[in-house]
Amino acid sequence: MRSRRDLLKSAVLGGGAGVVAATALGSLGPEAAFAASGPELEPGAPDPDFAEGRIRSIKDNTLLVLGSNAVFHRIRVVDGTSLWKLGPVPFDQAKPGDGLYARGVRMPDGELAAESVWLNIVNIKGHITNIKDQTLHLDHHGKEVLCHVIAGKSVAIRSDAPPSADLSMLKVSQHVQILGAWRPDTNEVDIATVFSPH
Amino acid sequence: MARNPSTDPPADLLGPVQGEVSWFCCGTAWGPCSSTGKGACGTCNSGSLQHAWPNASDACWAITRPDSCGVSLSRRTCGFRHRTTSLCGGASVVTAIADCGPQTDLFCGERSCCGSTCANNRLIDLTPAAYSRIASLSTGLRPCEIATG
Repeated sequence: MRSRRDLLKSAVLGGGAGVVAATALGSLGPEAAFAASGPELEPGAPDPDFAEGRIRSIKDNTLLVLGSNAVFHRIRVVDGTSLWKLGPVPFDQAKPGDGLYARGVRMPDGELAAESVWLNIVNIKGHITNIKDQTLHLDHHGKEVLCHVIAGKSVAIRSDAPPSADLSMLKVSQHVQILGAWRPDTNEVDIATVFSPH
Repeated sequence: MARNPSTDPPADLLGPVQGEVSWFCCGTAWGPCSSTGKGACGTCNSGSLQHAWPNASDACWAITRPDSCGVSLSRRTCGFRHRTTSLCGGASVVTAIADCGPQTDLFCGERSCCGSTCANNRLIDLTPAAYSRIASLSTGLRPCEIATG
């Protein structure tokens, strides 16, 4: 059986429209897709099938990304690519200025054919210093991050309880992990999930 | 929440241990991660296959205190390799220690599950490059098994 990575690579190398049939890749659930990840690499070394940085521009289906380490990446988005920005989103939600992490298959020409692109995703831990209206004030390494509750999007997970849209149990001084989407060039984050131990 | 005394000897000397895995950013970065730095070992980068370990030094242990959650872990220093296996899909990744963390004691007793498969307490944090080899970054937290790599 061919892996998702093999399908992605062959589809991109095959040229044409440069897209992968959604049905070819969509049959795998998310966990199964990650279970089919690529060969083992040297621990501690950079992962060649991963990229991070901020989108400088978008040309057709390619994101031109400047890495935080000043390395430039070309990231190809295809029909089988999953994009996340506070949840699953279509390609047109990717904007210049967005930060991203991307995983895929590095092509011979250096382009990354993306399996997954996470736009503006952050996963930060800290103490809640204030709760006002629909905003949690988080002390993250001594800096304040304003974390906004987004109706219909934000959920809280208390230990192994199921996700809940009710965030009223969160208290000042509590230590939490917040997974969310950064608002570029601000200290503000839209909340996807708040994890708390109790 | 009541805290249990530490176990003895370190659980990870007897075989793989189960706990929670999350991800963290380090090195040059954008957004709230931009001030994070290179980690306790001075080598940490989000794009490298690395992890944080709660017992990377005396100073590290004094901060993370997994023993206060009833978990005793071996001293493993910069560069030591662990294999982390997701209990959700079975994917695994081998990474090298590059930082101190997670702060296990602040999430004492926390439990993550995939269906009926669960694990307690935060024992390891992976870089985004490493975590995304075994799960989507959007999951944020997963039960896992940790063994020497």
